[in-house]
Amino acid sequence: MISRLARWIDDRIGGSAFAEQALSKIFPDHWSFMLGEIALYSFVVLVVTGIFLSFFFDPSVAETTYHGAYPPLQGTSMSEAYRSVVELSYDVRAGLVMRQAHHWAAIVFIAAIVVHLLRVFFTGAFRRPREINWIVGVTLLILAFFNGFTGYSLPDDLLSGTGLRIAYSIALSVPVIGTWMAFLIFGGEFPAEAIIPRLFVTHILIVPGAIVALISVHLALIWRQKHTDFPARGRREGNVVGPKLWPTYAAFSMGLFFAVSAVIMAMGGLVQVNPVWVYGPFRVSEVPSPAQPDWWLGWLEGALRIFPPWEARAFGHEIPNPFYPGVLVPTVTFGALYLWPFLEARFTGDRGPHHLLDRARDHPVRTAFGVTALSFFVLLQVAASNDLLAHRLDASVATISWTFRIVVPVVPPLLGYVTYRLMTALQASAAERFAELPLRAVLRPAGDGAKRPEVDVAGYAPSADGAELIVYREPDGRWRWCYRPLDNGVELRSNKSYVSQEAAEHAALRAYPDTPLARPAEASGSTSSGPRPTSG
Amino acid sequence: MKGTRTVLLVTLLPALAAGACSYFTKPEPYRPPASYRPLDAEGLALGQRLYQRDCSFCHGDDAGGTSNGPDLLTGENGPALTDFMLRTGRMPIDDPDEEVRPGDSPYDDEEIAALVGYIDQAFDQPGPGIPAVDLAAGDLTEGRDLYQEHCAACHAATGIGGAMLAQRAGREMAGIVIPDLAGAHPTEVGEAVRTGPDAMPVFGPGVVDDDQLNAIARYVEYLRKPDDRGGAPIGRIGPVAEGAVGWVLGLGTLILFIRWVGTKRGAQA
Amino acid sequence: MNQGRVRILAAFGASMLASIGLTVVYAVGGDPQIEGALLGVALGGIAVGLVLFGHHMLPGGQFVEPRDIVPHATAERPGVEAAFEAGVEPIERRRLIAAAFAASVGLLGIAALFPIRSLGSRPGRTLFRTEWRRGRRAVTDAGRPLRVDDLDLNSVVTVFPEGHEDAADSQTLLIRLPDGVTVPGPSNWSVNGVVAFSKVCTHAGCPVGLYQAETQELFCPCHQSTFSVPEGAKPTFGPATRPLPQLPIGLDDDGFVIALSDYTEPVGPGFWNRP
Repeated sequence: MISRLARWIDDRIGGSAFAEQALSKIFPDHWSFMLGEIALYSFVVLVVTGIFLSFFFDPSVAETTYHGAYPPLQGTSMSEAYRSVVELSYDVRAGLVMRQAHHWAAIVFIAAIVVHLLRVFFTGAFRRPREINWIVGVTLLILAFFNGFTGYSLPDDLLSGTGLRIAYSIALSVPVIGTWMAFLIFGGEFPAEAIIPRLFVTHILIVPGAIVALISVHLALIWRQKHTDFPARGRREGNVVGPKLWPTYAAFSMGLFFAVSAVIMAMGGLVQVNPVWVYGPFRVSEVPSPAQPDWWLGWLEGALRIFPPWEARAFGHEIPNPFYPGVLVPTVTFGALYLWPFLEARFTGDRGPHHLLDRARDHPVRTAFGVTALSFFVLLQVAASNDLLAHRLDASVATISWTFRIVVPVVPPLLGYVTYRLMTALQASAAERFAELPLRAVLRPAGDGAKRPEVDVAGYAPSADGAELIVYREPDGRWRWCYRPLDNGVELRSNKSYVSQEAAEHAALRAYPDTPLARPAEASGSTSSGPRPTSG
Repeated sequence: MKGTRTVLLVTLLPALAAGACSYFTKPEPYRPPASYRPLDAEGLALGQRLYQRDCSFCHGDDAGGTSNGPDLLTGENGPALTDFMLRTGRMPIDDPDEEVRPGDSPYDDEEIAALVGYIDQAFDQPGPGIPAVDLAAGDLTEGRDLYQEHCAACHAATGIGGAMLAQRAGREMAGIVIPDLAGAHPTEVGEAVRTGPDAMPVFGPGVVDDDQLNAIARYVEYLRKPDDRGGAPIGRIGPVAEGAVGWVLGLGTLILFIRWVGTKRGAQA
Repeated sequence: MNQGRVRILAAFGASMLASIGLTVVYAVGGDPQIEGALLGVALGGIAVGLVLFGHHMLPGGQFVEPRDIVPHATAERPGVEAAFEAGVEPIERRRLIAAAFAASVGLLGIAALFPIRSLGSRPGRTLFRTEWRRGRRAVTDAGRPLRVDDLDLNSVVTVFPEGHEDAADSQTLLIRLPDGVTVPGPSNWSVNGVVAFSKVCTHAGCPVGLYQAETQELFCPCHQSTFSVPEGAKPTFGPATRPLPQLPIGLDDDGFVIALSDYTEPVGPGFWNRP
């Protein structure tokens, strides 16, 4: 029945060639290549749960009184927005699970994007021709941050309302246009009534629309450029190795979708998140503590907390304190992220295309920079919990803040330097893993005569390869080729069959320009029909 | 697959167990309630003996204070404050420089009552008496509202307490720990509200009347076992714990899953 | 692969049972924890089943396909350029028309930006003023005016101008200082040991909600700015750079606390044209 449907569609649209290419498309299946998929499927869960939530949320700050199932709020005056969220949590069946799953999905979504970004960064997958996709990806990260913030600010509770006040103050701090920016975004002086409905439209329409568009571009580019892969036996710059999309990769990907949904929905019911009924409705003169934003803004919050009381004031104007950690730090961060592929290409002089990934040790400078930046943001993240740390460790908030003021500028560059030394030592030694690296190799600078494995620009040392290409005919008359190592290693078959022998040989040589095409006399135990002459 | 299973057992199970435990915790038991018994001669004698033995070194024989400790004659000093300090183990302290913090009291009910009564009668303290807090009369909704207005900023919306600073008077980097309200008996809550012990401000009847005090105590009582409808409360500290759990339990589980699905061989020499 | 098949069927079976369980739980009223656990099994069972199916029953092995190291259609580039030029060339010849088109689109674009102005009110002097006026009573957010004796020593209460109990910028702390503690600044700005300071943190605008009664310091929970009241609410720690503005207060004929004027400087965080 499916084939009849497929034929019906093909008669009208005609996409057989595309379909054949698509079904047998190769997707390298290293586990770290699925991090982006975790983000993608978290986004799907966000949209599905979000649609449900949007049927119940009331984006209005009009005053109302709560008469629902949560006793401590019974009879309390609050905004319609807050009331609708508490009612969804307490009075709507399955409402709380959907709401919490939505929030957990956001947490997992952004976490997966960050880990995915780290994988792409440390393996150099952003290099040509994937700079566009890198830019799309960083933009997706920013949009995800933003939608997360607008999302948890919608319920108009005391904790998120405090966050909105801080956002307003950061907008105010922008030189020249700050006051206008803040008043236009919020609709007036804080707490302007317009902000909740505006956040709602932004959160459910504008930003998700942009995210969907950019995800489509992101996936289309991966489809077109094909995925990168780690250098290994049988991998070249000119080929892709892995399972085929249909049926294997599709099954795995679908399984991953269900796993992501399973984890998120389970957490949605089992682990409490954002219990707004405890924080209470937003009141302008009240504030909760501890007061932290959701994790993805932790680095910004940490920067705001530990930044010293400096500000610039001259000639009747000032650039107030929140500007530096609140605007400058994010601008520099995302600016550096956007520019990195181009900066790296410029400074290494390497402007060639790369489809094979680096190991961390292959680019010690990049790895060191990455570790510096990562540790910087992780430390800022921890600094955002300075009051919690003070409480748990029975220490003074001031001591903890001062510790971070010193640690945050000093430790990341140190870690970067240590990383650089470790990476160069690994590079120079024959060790495969950290554990095998002798300490002596780390302490002595690289280039001490230790053996370096030969890796050429094409990505793998062909002279050490020892394999041949076999072209053979299938029972249905079509031709296939395969890459066969001479030492009985794993054989790699072509993902599709070809009409003619020439086409098969051409494809084989495109994938392995340096591997010899086997002559019939030398072919050992080929899978199918008889001998055939080879072309030069 | 074996390695994955081991990692799962080692990381996820303890995390799940901890989560389950946090979900099923019982509220902390009350510290013993204050007593209102008026003192007879024997009680007063006991009080005087205890005062001379434990308190006069720092607070003075006449309770007028010394270089080691403040007087007990001014401000909010009265039965409520004395009872609070003794009941929560904040007093006595062994060393004048020691930090005042809650702990176990070395006194029993009778001894506390004796000290409270003796100090008040002998030194004619000005401060409020032990408040009669009536939980049943407190309105839960009003209590939540008042708690959010007056208490949540310091003691946290969930009552877990927090930290702040005391920077003046040469106490560089000095920190203040704001206590957790679990285990606070309603009378203790009333005493603290009315007398503002240590770093806490005073909330007198002009700001929080007696009905409102009952309501606040009622809500603090509720916070001992709040309705965690959403599941495991993971420490009740808000987004920080949520982020950590999201990463470890959420993304962590999913990374273990993709390691099962995909291949682990990476680059090879 | 019999063992594999059993495991796959068990996974899907568990999922089916969990889904049925979900419908039952929902029908009897629902419970978030049970719903969560069952959802986890229902979805996770399918996940595990699919992956087991993929591992054990789908064609395994690694396949290979060639890829273009560099996109190979560069031969068509001259054609693309020629096709594009065919459209651009007539425009280049007619410069005046092209300029007029560009100008009309440009001006339209600029005009289209103007509705952004409708999004909010102009800042104007809004940030320089609050709702406090001479003679306005200080009231709690419930609207109750206060006398000095309503406050005990070392007592703090949040007040608003009467009639404006929801004015965020006007939120003010009335503090009754202990005996012997004074603040610098005009002595006629305080009355009977009661002083008034803005509650809006001068760093990022959070209400400065914590009061340390032993040292009379105000502490903001957002970024830990600490303000010392006896030093005029000067910041002693944290990122705040300016003291909390003080509100001049006095008493009216009935003994209620009133403001003597508005704040003499803008309250809250800084901005570009703050003096």
